[in-house]
Amino acid sequence: MNRFIAQGKTPLAAHVSTDGMTMWSVKEKLLLGLTPKEYVAQAIRNPLNWLFAVIFIFGGAITVGRFIFGLSYVTHSSYDYPWGLFLGWGLFVMVPLSASGFMLGTTVEVFGRHDFKPIERLALLNGLLGYLFAVIFLQVDLGQPWRLIYPMFVSLGPAAVLFLVAWHVATYLSVQVAELLPAFAEWVNWPGLKKTVKSMILGLTISGIILSTLHQGALGALFTYAPGKVHPLWISAPFQWFHFFCSSIFAGLCMLIVVSTLCKKFMAWRCDDNFLNNLDRLTLGLAKGSALALITYLVIKIIGVAHDGDWGYLASGWGQWFMLEMFIGVILPIILFTIAIKNNMVGLARFTAFITVLGIALNRLNTALITFNWKLYQEIPHWREVVIVITIYSLFIVTYRFILYRLPILYTWKK
Amino acid sequence: MNELSRRKFLKGGLAGGAMVSLLGKSSKSEAAPSFGGYPDSMGVLVDLTRCVGCRSCEAACNKEQGLPAPDLPFDDMSVLEEKRRTSEGAYTVVNKYEIPGKDHPLYRKMQCNHCNEPACLTSCFVNAYRKTPEGAVMYDPTVCVGCRTCMIACPFYVPAYSYSSVLNPVIKKCIFCYETRLKFGRPPACVEACPKEVLTFGKRTNLLKIAHDRIRNYPDKYVDQVYGEKEVGGTAWMYLSSAPFEEVGFDTHLGNDPIINYVKEFLTVVPMVLTIWPALFAGFHLLATRKDVQNKENSAGK
Amino acid sequence: MQMDHIPKLTMRIILAMVLAFGTAQISSAMDGPDAVELNALAELYGPVNFDHTMHTDIAGDCAVCHHHTTGTPPQDPRCAKCHAKSGPADEVACQSCHAAKRFEAEYLNKLAADNTIYHVDRLGLKAAYHQRCMGCHEESGAPNGCQDCHTRNDAGDKVFHAGQYAPPPSAHKAKEGH
Repeated sequence: MNRFIAQGKTPLAAHVSTDGMTMWSVKEKLLLGLTPKEYVAQAIRNPLNWLFAVIFIFGGAITVGRFIFGLSYVTHSSYDYPWGLFLGWGLFVMVPLSASGFMLGTTVEVFGRHDFKPIERLALLNGLLGYLFAVIFLQVDLGQPWRLIYPMFVSLGPAAVLFLVAWHVATYLSVQVAELLPAFAEWVNWPGLKKTVKSMILGLTISGIILSTLHQGALGALFTYAPGKVHPLWISAPFQWFHFFCSSIFAGLCMLIVVSTLCKKFMAWRCDDNFLNNLDRLTLGLAKGSALALITYLVIKIIGVAHDGDWGYLASGWGQWFMLEMFIGVILPIILFTIAIKNNMVGLARFTAFITVLGIALNRLNTALITFNWKLYQEIPHWREVVIVITIYSLFIVTYRFILYRLPILYTWKK
Repeated sequence: MNELSRRKFLKGGLAGGAMVSLLGKSSKSEAAPSFGGYPDSMGVLVDLTRCVGCRSCEAACNKEQGLPAPDLPFDDMSVLEEKRRTSEGAYTVVNKYEIPGKDHPLYRKMQCNHCNEPACLTSCFVNAYRKTPEGAVMYDPTVCVGCRTCMIACPFYVPAYSYSSVLNPVIKKCIFCYETRLKFGRPPACVEACPKEVLTFGKRTNLLKIAHDRIRNYPDKYVDQVYGEKEVGGTAWMYLSSAPFEEVGFDTHLGNDPIINYVKEFLTVVPMVLTIWPALFAGFHLLATRKDVQNKENSAGK
Repeated sequence: MQMDHIPKLTMRIILAMVLAFGTAQISSAMDGPDAVELNALAELYGPVNFDHTMHTDIAGDCAVCHHHTTGTPPQDPRCAKCHAKSGPADEVACQSCHAAKRFEAEYLNKLAADNTIYHVDRLGLKAAYHQRCMGCHEESGAPNGCQDCHTRNDAGDKVFHAGQYAPPPSAHKAKEGH
């Protein structure tokens, strides 16, 4: 794309072409204002696309195999580890990293911090796609994915935590679609739609907070069904939901820093000045929010250990693993974020956000897989399971990029 | 009918929760006593001191439930050399435990313990499980989505899953021979097959009396504990042993609370968040945007 | 070893047999029968020929097997509290006290209906045999494996997936490989 811009093309960002005469058609909008030939040329030039092509051909075949030969083809069919990487990564890691949507929605719409507006839509998109792909991961994992709507309409088990997760994720997905409709409305030129959504935005945002609080917490509460299976350092029945909810706050914010950094670095042509010029300042703002949430999280984690009297476990091998996770994922980020904020070091804040994201992923994988069944044996996921996770995550990235290229997320639509 | 009101409470709690998000109604959240089990429910007392590991129960279960042929004949005792667990092809298995200082190994039969307050049931979001008044924990494969949360929740690692099935993978576990026997007041196939009455079938309340009588009459023979009397809220299948239970493969750290009690902390949060959050955040919004409004009014006044 | 379903017909045969045994016992007073054919597991196993005379000689005391019912004082002091002088019972056959259908509703209801019954935990017939026989056989080093006493018939082989119904050895190997 950079090459075309060097040749004097401008990325499509308005209904009317640069000469001001012709309206872009939807097809032209989809092709970013390039001719099909030019579009294909830029796609082929991107080495990342070649990597994706390999992943989709190989991984796609294995993913299809899962639906032809069943779960036993791609997993170890474990009775002791019924949840593997599909949920461990796809649900328990993806969902907290997608908390950015409701966090920024709240900041901008509820708290009136309109200075965060340039990054709000990216946060919303990050949320929407994260949830959407969590559901796709779920669909790969469910034994009978065609019954996904059963908990909603066919056979209701309302006393179960997962019932709440199902309903809330479904409702929240619709809320997020609605929150992002204005961007779509601008792109397809439906001003009426945008106006309608704008009028509901406060209600949507608040319902987003409610739904997010509950289902982020509910994902943690799911493990309170297995109090004896997860290592005591990773589970504290009274606090579990709050641990998951609180960590989702900085997980979402840090993921937003990571994604915006990637956009700035690899997709600068698509970002407008409003985004690029404000990003450093906003990154530090997000870092500040993350640091506060991290401190809260650290405190309640310690309270959790103290409440359950788990100090003794700290001396064990699991305890060292726990302290390593806490150091890399929580304490180190608190220190680094503080230094970054004090000294205006945006680069350091970005690096810290990256390790925080890794830290939260480690926490969720620890809870769902690594310390799960700590009294039994450790299970290493089947290689096909890993391939499918990589494939679907690649699909997530490609979808993400497809939308960022087109909808006014990183740039403002020109009237 | 405390037990009923509690179930209703739990259902009401979250159903209400889901409703609140849609309709904005509140749900009552009073604490409810624990569910002690249906009064006339049946159970089985497993006396480990009597078992010789003949695996007749396994063979009987295989036949009664129409399970697939085993890898090895049921009279092949070499399988006892490794610890097995229940699987999609075996709803019950017997494991052998060498007890230090004892001449004889102890054998432990495993199957679904049919909890009074089953974790599988309370964790299921499509209500596929039910506890029958006779005591069986039943599973309905026609509504199961295959999320396998019940397998996560079961503290005894009982439910298995037919992963190999593409179109109809389902949970596989002991159902107390409910459809063919228990429903008609008859003992499950394993109980009938057991040559040494390791398995005593009867009303759970009576079995508890019998169990404690045996301990009282033979204090040297038994450990003074009936495993399953209180564990995770009580189970229909209970155990007597001559060796400490942790030495025969039982998890003695499960506690006496039903699994759902650990989840309740969160369940009580649900209605609070649903009712308090809207007002709280609307309030924040008004406070945060107060200046904007004032500015607007000021500029309008000028 | 294996007693899956006992069809009504088999039960009738056993009942008839035991009744005959019971009458024989009364008529021959303390001697008892020479041999008893135990056939409660007929569905899966051939009958067991129990040499009563031989076992009487080995046990020496009727009470070893018959508790207090033959008139000899019971060995267990716990039993002696009530049965030290209860004298010989009308029925001494195992079957007369140890229910063949120990866990069927009929028997359980009988227990539930009468709160004067002390022996609520009395073994069923099959367990009474096995507890008694296997206990002594182990102590005395007598044969104690299932098929040492019971020859399994074709139906039994089928239930146990043994003999001609044994799974092919390849099935086990293949599963292990995976």
